[in-house]
Amino acid sequence: MTPPLGATFLRLFGVQASWNYDRMIGIGVGLAEEPLLRELGRAEGDAVYRAAVGRGAGFFNSHPYLAGLAVGATARAEYDHVPPEQIERLRAALCGPLGSLGDRLVWAGWLPFVSGLAVAAAVLGAGPAAVVGFLVVYNAGHVGLRWWALRAGWDHGMRVAAALHAPALQRAARLTAPAMAFAAGLALPAGGAALSGVEPVWARAVFIGVTVAGLGVLSWLRTMVDGARLGLAATALALVVGGLLW
Amino acid sequence: MIGAADLAVLFVWGTAVGVDLVTGPQVMIARPLVAGAVAGWLLGDPGTGLLLGVLFELFQYDVLPVGASRYPEYGPATVAAVAAAHGVSGPAGLALGALVGLATGVAGGASLGIVRRLNTAAVRAAAPRLESGDPRTLARLHAAGVARDGARAAAVTALGLGLAALARTLVAGTLAPSALALAAAAAGGAALAAAMNGTLRLVGRGPDVRWLAAGVVAGTLLVWLR
Repeated sequence: MTPPLGATFLRLFGVQASWNYDRMIGIGVGLAEEPLLRELGRAEGDAVYRAAVGRGAGFFNSHPYLAGLAVGATARAEYDHVPPEQIERLRAALCGPLGSLGDRLVWAGWLPFVSGLAVAAAVLGAGPAAVVGFLVVYNAGHVGLRWWALRAGWDHGMRVAAALHAPALQRAARLTAPAMAFAAGLALPAGGAALSGVEPVWARAVFIGVTVAGLGVLSWLRTMVDGARLGLAATALALVVGGLLW
Repeated sequence: MIGAADLAVLFVWGTAVGVDLVTGPQVMIARPLVAGAVAGWLLGDPGTGLLLGVLFELFQYDVLPVGASRYPEYGPATVAAVAAAHGVSGPAGLALGALVGLATGVAGGASLGIVRRLNTAAVRAAAPRLESGDPRTLARLHAAGVARDGARAAAVTALGLGLAALARTLVAGTLAPSALALAAAAAGGAALAAAMNGTLRLVGRGPDVRWLAAGVVAGTLLVWLR
């Protein structure tokens, strides 16, 4: 029996909406899994359905795009009458791998890769078309990954670890890191040129000085200062100094 | 001066951008490049929107949104920055936008922590019903989370748009163009430093450093040839 995956797939887009410190994304995962469990309830009764929903809403944390893998796998395990303690163990075992794989693949790979290309393209003449391109290309990967995760989870059930070793996924994980590095490398001089290009020539020396000093501050004081606070302090200080000078 | 209708549209856009960051659908309209470009387009000032989008996209490279980490929120901040810079040409616009956007971004980051604590309290209060597998409790908790984040994003956007109006009145009219150019250079330099720091952290010291170097060389050549 294969319940329709559509409602679960749509709910996964909001899986982090009730993020909290006790269950992390567990509530969102439970809500996404619930439509898959309705058929189980109709076939085997309300008590079975409610017990499965209760398990689904327990603690869970992973990359949001890959949460569907756990949702599909645990729902399939419920249909396969896997003992509850084994389902709990599966959920716990998936948190780490789905978090680290998703962070590597998406937050540290696909997203900065497409963003870097978009920044470079926008500055080098593509303008707003680069923004449209960013949204289309990024979300092709994003939506595709979410669907693959849900489908793979449902197909594999308790053997879901096999899906994480799929050759395409491993190849993607290998390729995104160098691609991201190259695209980010393109974006740095392009972004710098766009920002310094609107300034008078004398101010470009200040631009370079703040870049070098700022990189030093962020490297050495990384636990105390982030980019926003550095930027805010530098801009406010420059306004005060400029106000005194001119 | 931005009219009431434009302000209302920016408010709706900034709120949508804020919700996209965590709650969903995470299609990345929360990225500064997108948030800024659309805000500029809405105001009929696409150049300013794109420039501030690039500025905050570089700041964004310093953020890795993993787990319960705390980070500034640059989406609504970029919308507010474009509102501050709209119609103020050159480096003065960049300086005003940076000042407003960075302050809004820090406030937005703090507001995410408040929503997480409120969600935690609500989940604790509903724990017995959750354990019993009540699907309506699950749906109610989740909907409340969406509403909380919507209210948060709206409040951050309103704060940013308020700061933008304040900066246009207090800063733009009182400081000399050279002082604003100095501030723009400082903001731009800090953005590039943040982007370099974040990129180096992501790339690490392994073999991908060569790809980063190749990208920097290619990007420099392309900028030079432009």
